[in-house]
Amino acid sequence: MTSAAVRVHGLWKRFGQQVAVAGIDLELPAGKFIGLVGPNGAGKTTTLSMVTGLLRPDQGSVEVVGHDVWRDPAEVKARIGVLPEGLRLFERLSGRELLGYTGRLRGLPGAEVDKRATQLLDVLDLAGAQHKLVVDYSTGMRKKIGLAAALLHNPEVLFLDEPFEGVDPVSAQTIRGVLERFTASGATVVFSSHVMELVESLCDWVAVMAAGRIRAHGPLAEVRGEAPSLQQAFLELVGAHGRDAGTDLDWLGGGTR
Amino acid sequence: MSTDVTGVFVRLKLSLLRNGLRQSGGRRAAWIASAVVALLFAALQLLGLILLRGTAHADALVVLLVAVLALGWAVMPLFFPGGDETLDPTRLVMLPLRPRPLVRALLVASLVGIGPLFTLCLLTGSVIAVAHGAAAFAVGVVGVALALLVCVALARAVAAANIRLLTSRKGRDLAVLSGLVVAIGAQVVNFAAQRIGSAGLGRLDPLADVLRWVPPGSAIGAVRSVSEGSYGAAALQLGLCALALAALIALWSRHLTRLMTAPDGSTLQAAGESAVGEKGAGGAARLLPAGRTGTVMERSLRYVWRDPKTKAAWVTSLVIGLIVPVFNAVQGTGSIYFACFAAGMLGIQMYNQFGQDTSAFWMVAMTISSPRDAYVELRGRALALLLITLPYATLVTVVTTALIGDWRRLPEVLGLSFALLGAMLATGAWTSARFPYSIPQEGHKNVAPGQVGLAWISIFGGMVAAALLCAPVIAVTIWLRVSEGGEAWTWLLLPAGAAYGAALTLLGLRLAAPRTAARLPEILTAVSKG
Repeated sequence: MTSAAVRVHGLWKRFGQQVAVAGIDLELPAGKFIGLVGPNGAGKTTTLSMVTGLLRPDQGSVEVVGHDVWRDPAEVKARIGVLPEGLRLFERLSGRELLGYTGRLRGLPGAEVDKRATQLLDVLDLAGAQHKLVVDYSTGMRKKIGLAAALLHNPEVLFLDEPFEGVDPVSAQTIRGVLERFTASGATVVFSSHVMELVESLCDWVAVMAAGRIRAHGPLAEVRGEAPSLQQAFLELVGAHGRDAGTDLDWLGGGTR
Repeated sequence: MSTDVTGVFVRLKLSLLRNGLRQSGGRRAAWIASAVVALLFAALQLLGLILLRGTAHADALVVLLVAVLALGWAVMPLFFPGGDETLDPTRLVMLPLRPRPLVRALLVASLVGIGPLFTLCLLTGSVIAVAHGAAAFAVGVVGVALALLVCVALARAVAAANIRLLTSRKGRDLAVLSGLVVAIGAQVVNFAAQRIGSAGLGRLDPLADVLRWVPPGSAIGAVRSVSEGSYGAAALQLGLCALALAALIALWSRHLTRLMTAPDGSTLQAAGESAVGEKGAGGAARLLPAGRTGTVMERSLRYVWRDPKTKAAWVTSLVIGLIVPVFNAVQGTGSIYFACFAAGMLGIQMYNQFGQDTSAFWMVAMTISSPRDAYVELRGRALALLLITLPYATLVTVVTTALIGDWRRLPEVLGLSFALLGAMLATGAWTSARFPYSIPQEGHKNVAPGQVGLAWISIFGGMVAAALLCAPVIAVTIWLRVSEGGEAWTWLLLPAGAAYGAALTLLGLRLAAPRTAARLPEILTAVSKG
């Protein structure tokens, strides 16, 4: 029973008329690289926000490593790292200052924060820009400094919302390397994405979301089933299959004029 | 070929002007209103200057006006980079244009618009005000043309020289501060006008004697020289103006050529520039307390300096908090109790603390898991604020007292100030937790659409509550003033007011902390709009 990193039960969230998350039950196993996939607007960000305590659900409960997120925030917040999507960082701090600030807010001793910050900046290839204000960082650099801030206190579970969105291939590879090393040590990574190839190559466990519900979940091979790729399996699951563009736009294309 | 380019640019400028009329209803109304006001103002200026003709210090005033106008042209592209889209030459990089025709075309095109029309009115009025005789008017025509060209070329040269800055993040930061500079500038002009009004225009003469030789003022100076018959001086003044114009155009054209031919290095050069000096900050930071308190204080203080919105709010508070009591004291209309204004203005900075974080508040929210954490967070922010506010409010109070000369009242005014500051911090902390709202990071708005009501409740409700909380101290002050022999005891108000303020702050933080801790997701949602 203790092998679940995250346990979600009956999770609901409505924004006015729109139902963003429509009753999710989910158990994410510990020590895995977990991908939460789904098209835009499927409710991935809303779900991750509720799981990490940044958004209050209308109904339902969330447990992270055995502690209720809303009743026992102290236990949960110390054990998780978060990289949200669409929220700012304290951008008027330099990269190094941001890490120093986050680490100290988390209650780590100053010397330890500085040591870890130096190592993280090195590994994430940010050492050259460490004294630059985060507001001047590129998208890839922002994701990397956000990841460093999320890793600083050595969390047991890491939640990343679209960590590869808008990131150049070199930065993406760096982020990948760090995450793989992190899960190899027994920690859990949960990340959302709509890039199936990426999820397929990184994750060993996936949950497919569409229209606020979980359509399938389990080990990658199980979810993929008979389909040749996760992409195909996903399209079938969300019901977008067979929508062929063959008959329309038949005028489009070179050389037939 | 060159006339072609000039024609194209003039037509471009005219279409840009016309497009001001093709926006949505509200913006079109605003555009028309501002244009009408500018033209009306220009007409009134012209009329006023014509009426000024023949008065004693007309020439000094006119030269000063022209100098202020030129200053306006020089700073305008820095603060309103979006004001004239043809100002940005990097937009033309892809076009096959030679520098010389381009400079000519841009110069002519920039003579089209409301700004140049306004300037033309003012310059014409200036010439009419000071010119006597046909020769003077003839020189005036040349002078007006020269001065107008100098103004326009000045704006272009400044824009071209700083275009990298203007299109970068720092330029946008600067634009956020522009409203503030205009407001403070208006205050200074207002104050100066009052002083001149009371002391007479004769005060301007020494300054005008210098400005008469500085382009573009020298063009108007030449008109006066001709009127007085000193043709040599007039020739020299006109020559100076022409020289300035040539130099500005040369400078502008050089920058333009470099911009059009050099690769865009905005991303390359940014690397070294924005690096922040870690040594200095680190040294000062060591004096702050350890743990969360010091960390929060350090971040808050860094934001006062580095975040344009926070900085603008702080500068407003600091300047208004100083100007109101001190100017009133200087003019002899003030009461010593106005000094409390500084404490009140600065206390406002405690309001909407989490809104000032923007959606980055999630980083704070992730580290608050108990009312105790929230208490330490709020206390750290209050302490950072006090680090600036306490000495500043004391200074303003002492300066006001010194100007009025009523030293016996200093203790009670200080006591009142501290009590008010405490009340503002307490209500600020509480409303930060209860009524948070978003502060948009771009533009001049300080409240996100749809949250105006919330902001009003937060600020005005909080200020009324703070005033009520101070009532006991005010009551005791009045009582000691009116009761017999009470004056001997007014010094007691200093320690009493300070203690009362401190107690209020602690109480406010204690009440705000559990609310903050319980409402983290709601606060984050409220501050993430915009």
